Amino acid sequence: MFSSSQFESNSAFSGGGFTFSHQSQPSDSDPSPAKSRETQGLVPVTVKQISEASQSGDEKSTFVINGVDVANVTLVGMVFDKLGRNTDVGFNLDDGTGRIGCRRWINENFDTIEMEKILDGMYVRVNGHLKSFKGVKQVVAFSVRPVTNFDEVAFHFIDCIHNHLQSKSQLQGVTPIQPQSVDMSFNTPVKNESTGYQTAPSTQLSGQFSSDGLKSCDQLVLDYLQQPSSIGQEKGIHRDELSQHLKLPVDKIMYSIRALEEEGLIYSTIDEFHYKSTACG
Amino acid sequence: MRVIVNFQHMDTSSPTVFVNAELLPMYVGRKVRAVVQVTQSDGEIKTGKSTDERQLIIKGLPQVPPMTHVEVIGIAESEQSIHAETWTNFGNTFDTQSYNQVCQLANGDFKGLFL
Repeated sequence: MFSSSQFESNSAFSGGGFTFSHQSQPSDSDPSPAKSRETQGLVPVTVKQISEASQSGDEKSTFVINGVDVANVTLVGMVFDKLGRNTDVGFNLDDGTGRIGCRRWINENFDTIEMEKILDGMYVRVNGHLKSFKGVKQVVAFSVRPVTNFDEVAFHFIDCIHNHLQSKSQLQGVTPIQPQSVDMSFNTPVKNESTGYQTAPSTQLSGQFSSDGLKSCDQLVLDYLQQPSSIGQEKGIHRDELSQHLKLPVDKIMYSIRALEEEGLIYSTIDEFHYKSTACG
Repeated sequence: MRVIVNFQHMDTSSPTVFVNAELLPMYVGRKVRAVVQVTQSDGEIKTGKSTDERQLIIKGLPQVPPMTHVEVIGIAESEQSIHAETWTNFGNTFDTQSYNQVCQLANGDFKGLFL
């Protein structure tokens, strides 16, 4: 699927070239997390995030989203204006946050067969390389698959939010425990989508957070308590409500509560079960 | 040699807001998207259950099998109704809770990623 000929013809057609030198292994099995963010695999993003992304150098350099270098992205949205030519298929992808142009080069039969199934108005998952041509950002897709289980739509946006939070916490110098394992587990269901991704996103997410360690659970609890609705509650939120809403066991919630309390981010109110965020909201 | 290139411009000018019944009133007149489970059909007007378990009225939907989840994209006509422009059948086994959480997050803490 990722034959070298595909990369060569890309440079020939794009006329400015972008290198896939760091792209030899677009999988997520990279063992060194912090060294090069370019080998982090597919980053889930919204079109809005792409539109706000800056480029670290000239047109050939990678983009910066959430303060992190991003080369390859994964998007979920609806196809519009599909236009098939001999050499490539172009279309616009609308994910509800905006529209972006996508292009799929046709090099092998596989490419043709895959793109034939894609029709206007269809929800698809696009995996591709983010690039800029004359100031216009676009995605050069190497994979376009129809969405069959629509939980994937909700999952993708939650994935974008999660990735955003992770990048933010890494920028602030707090290293999450085993970031790569979390990335892998999020990328795996995406790539196996065609073979039957049946798990509801909520259970998938809570499973991943428990194996990731306590950092993400803390963030979940803090986020919930910082919601305007939570801040509006005088007596705070009961830990059982947190457990129910976040679908996490009570002892995990209590662990996070103690950690957040120690950092001065939350405080107990009427009793040891009710907590509020110290932020003004 | 003259090369004619067809630009596909980035367009974030008309984002579609993720809404449930609680959020819909904030976006009357704007383009919204919501998932509803059709419960009643009265010709052009359908009544559906939103992802936060309240009633919404959808206009302009064709015949949909009952109890199917449908994502409706259209203009919010009132605090309780949407005029559908496009719709997608999300099937019978859709996780409304997760989608509902996306609505809350996309309009709350993470609005910047969406709108």
